Amino acid sequence: MTKKVIIIGGGPAGMQTAASLLEMGIKPTIIEKSDRIGGKLNDWHKLFPSFTPAHEVLESLKQKMKEARVITGTTVEQINNEGVSLNDGSIMEADAVVVASGFNLFRAELKEELGYTIYDNVYTTVDIERMLNEGEVAMKDGRTPQRIAFLHCVGSRDEKVNQRHCSKVCCVTGVKQAMELKGMFPQAEVYNFYMDIRMFGPGYEEMYRRAQEEFNIHFVRGRISEASETIDRRVQIKAEDTLIGRPLKMTVDMLILIVGMTPGESNREFSKTNGIELQPSGFVAPADNFTRNTCSNAKNIFYAGTVTAPKNIGESINEGAVAAQQVAKYLKGL
Amino acid sequence: MENISTEILRYYDHFVVPFTVGVIVLFTVVIYKYVRWFVKLPRTDKSLVWHGLFTRSTFDACVEVVSESLLHRKIFRVNPILGYMHMSLAFGWFLLIAVGWLEASMQLSGIVPLHAHVFYKFFAEPGANHGVSGEILTNVMDLLLLFVLSGVALAWFKRMRSRAMGMKRATKHTTGDRIALFALWFIFPARLLAESASSGLKGIDSFLTGNIGHWMVSTFGVQNIELFSSVMWWAYSILLAVFFVSMPFSRYMHIFTEIPLIFLRKYRLRSTEKQKSYDHFQVQACSRCGICIDPCQLQADAGIMNVQSVYFLRDRRYHKLTGAVAENCFMCGRCEAKCPVGIELNTLRLNSRAKLFDLPAEGRYSFVKGTDTSSGSGKVGFFAGCMTLLNPKTLRSMEAIFDAAGEEVWWADRNGGVCCGRPLKLAGEIGAAAKMMEYNKSLFEKHGITTLVTSCPICLRVFREEYNLQGIEVIHHTQYIQRLIAQGRLSVEYSGEVFTYHDPCELGRGSGIYDEPRAVITSIGKLSEVSQSRENAFCCGSGLANITISDKGQNKISAALAEKFAETGAKTIVTACPLCKKAIARNTSLKVADISEIVAGRLTVTTNSHLAKSRIEESPLLHVMQ
Repeated sequence: MTKKVIIIGGGPAGMQTAASLLEMGIKPTIIEKSDRIGGKLNDWHKLFPSFTPAHEVLESLKQKMKEARVITGTTVEQINNEGVSLNDGSIMEADAVVVASGFNLFRAELKEELGYTIYDNVYTTVDIERMLNEGEVAMKDGRTPQRIAFLHCVGSRDEKVNQRHCSKVCCVTGVKQAMELKGMFPQAEVYNFYMDIRMFGPGYEEMYRRAQEEFNIHFVRGRISEASETIDRRVQIKAEDTLIGRPLKMTVDMLILIVGMTPGESNREFSKTNGIELQPSGFVAPADNFTRNTCSNAKNIFYAGTVTAPKNIGESINEGAVAAQQVAKYLKGL
Repeated sequence: MENISTEILRYYDHFVVPFTVGVIVLFTVVIYKYVRWFVKLPRTDKSLVWHGLFTRSTFDACVEVVSESLLHRKIFRVNPILGYMHMSLAFGWFLLIAVGWLEASMQLSGIVPLHAHVFYKFFAEPGANHGVSGEILTNVMDLLLLFVLSGVALAWFKRMRSRAMGMKRATKHTTGDRIALFALWFIFPARLLAESASSGLKGIDSFLTGNIGHWMVSTFGVQNIELFSSVMWWAYSILLAVFFVSMPFSRYMHIFTEIPLIFLRKYRLRSTEKQKSYDHFQVQACSRCGICIDPCQLQADAGIMNVQSVYFLRDRRYHKLTGAVAENCFMCGRCEAKCPVGIELNTLRLNSRAKLFDLPAEGRYSFVKGTDTSSGSGKVGFFAGCMTLLNPKTLRSMEAIFDAAGEEVWWADRNGGVCCGRPLKLAGEIGAAAKMMEYNKSLFEKHGITTLVTSCPICLRVFREEYNLQGIEVIHHTQYIQRLIAQGRLSVEYSGEVFTYHDPCELGRGSGIYDEPRAVITSIGKLSEVSQSRENAFCCGSGLANITISDKGQNKISAALAEKFAETGAKTIVTACPLCKKAIARNTSLKVADISEIVAGRLTVTTNSHLAKSRIEESPLLHVMQ
């Protein structure tokens, strides 16, 4: 009898889980809530640190898992012992479930003082990726930006919006986009306002050095406290340069908020299932942080990707492979 | 001489000594305290007393003493069972003393010393209380004793199960309180047994003590009951003595202190941001009933104990107050609204903070002097306050509203301004706050405004209560918008959308503004009220006054609140305080909006000119402020 495996979420982690299971002769089912697989990778332009086009990675993942069964436009509402219950009210049976439901982007509107959705020229990093994909980055009225400010840690390490954790990948994203925009607008001044720059991955620190040395991007240590809109619809920011110990005001053409990761919206509902626990941050807790990163406390439920913590794409893909192996091992024992 | 001493000794037994000593200690200490506190009152307070003494206030105070100190009307309103318990103990005991006095005066002859009234049954002649009046008196006394005993029984029951009395949590008491409480529990049972034994031995008939006494004598015999009687009278006297001696040093000091407090309050004495002698009357009038514990969200949602008003006052009274306790409070006023004694809990906490934390303000904030970043001109001024500046949607909405109403506005702080001073004040830094207040006051006066509108209830309170702005009416933006709608200067579209409303503490309980925001909301849509609103409204958990609580604690409170709002079925939570808005928004998936936003979104006549106005002049490049 063939064993049934359900993968919740068709992002990079879920796709790799499917790919690895297929290699081991198991045909899984991916349940994806949006109308296409690929997750947020669909929305990205180029990936750090190599500036690899996102669609290349996406295509290669798609190739590897094309034999898998994919159900799109369907949401898993609950996980139970027999399988999962779907938003259409049906229950889909499964011998093992891999939760690869990912993260949500921080809603920058919550930091109202930064003016996102209120002022014309305040953007998020997600908007910039979309604009890069569309081929045109410009101010709302089409003007070319002369001065651009990036603000790090919007929705990360910020108790005021219940986001104590570090979202990990935003630092390098901010540096990447700063380089891309500087490349597009060599005349523009580009500032990055940060509190720490955490360059954890291979090649990231080197990128950060290049951004300063070759791209002449200015890094100012200090967070932007508030923004207002000027008469010509530019954005005036108030910040503090903590290295010289002075407050500063600056008017920029574009303010780009580097948004962090919040726990997936389904985490809370999933945590009602025995064996799925939440961390204080709201991300799902793996069985342990060393040898069982992809395991839950329920023997038939596994995790992959950012459902457990902020991760970059490479790490998420690796976890997909590991989760698949755990699933195969578990199914063999049945 | 000899005659007098025989007269006195006629009603003497050794067991009266503890009682007599107790009474002397009690009244000496209580009178000493009151005289000292009164002498130390500031001159202005004393003059208020002298001026009020022969006015209606004294009469009103007498009425209140009867209704509150004896009948405990306010506790009745909060909780009828607790009210009955307090009334039976206070009023019952009072009547026992008064009627007992009458009974002893009528039945005993010659000079009757104090203790002979109290221990009347011991000193009564065998077969006393014959005749109609005597029988009525002794039965009335039995009835009163039963009344008090019912209160004692409730008190026992309350200790065992506070929930059964409608209180989720009872106060944790000090050792002195426990000793006094222990004595109080057994005083009346001891009295019952002592009086019953004496009644039985002396053949005094009455429905309670008489019948029990007869049964005791017929069951155990005269000799046993004689011994028992003397033991019980000793016990009764000792218990009274223990209670009396511990009274001025324990929570039971409230029994007497509430009386001068009522008088002083009627003479319009109030606590202020600086501690003064009047505070003693308030602090020691706290009965530690613990009614303040249940409404406290720090306790209910964040699990923080030992900071509630009852503990704060206790610590302050015994000079054990720490900064941590004084600071850990939102001053939301939920407890103050429920306090049956009417103690000014927030003001007392504020002046404790001022005593602990007020730092010399010399030289601090001198840079604000002379700066003026205000813009526009008009008779109406708008003060956003630091927190509204962090909620630009509110600012934009107010601009749209002013514009639609055709109001010329002077913007006090749109380009940044100076704090109203209340946050510093709430932290106890009244010296530094005074500098901010002085600055803003002269700014308002300089620009000749006649109305000052603010969208921040925190600013509103300090402007109204402490700025003493002559010729300037200070109103909250909810009031301003409501007026515009009522006057027909602003027309809004009714949409039928369902809103719920959060009463900010500083706006509702703090400033008594409940109706205007509701009028505004109901002119736009339907209002679905949350389970507790208006005077009983919850705190958002981000009150400026609490400078100690962790972010985690704040979140527990606002998450609990957000759940209650979700139950209303409304899609939008409307509030009228920038701080409340941020506090609730981070813990709910519902939309949270300032009242101005929902109004600005439904203006029927709009012009676009506000869009240009809302923007600011550009600052010079990389302008570093000095």
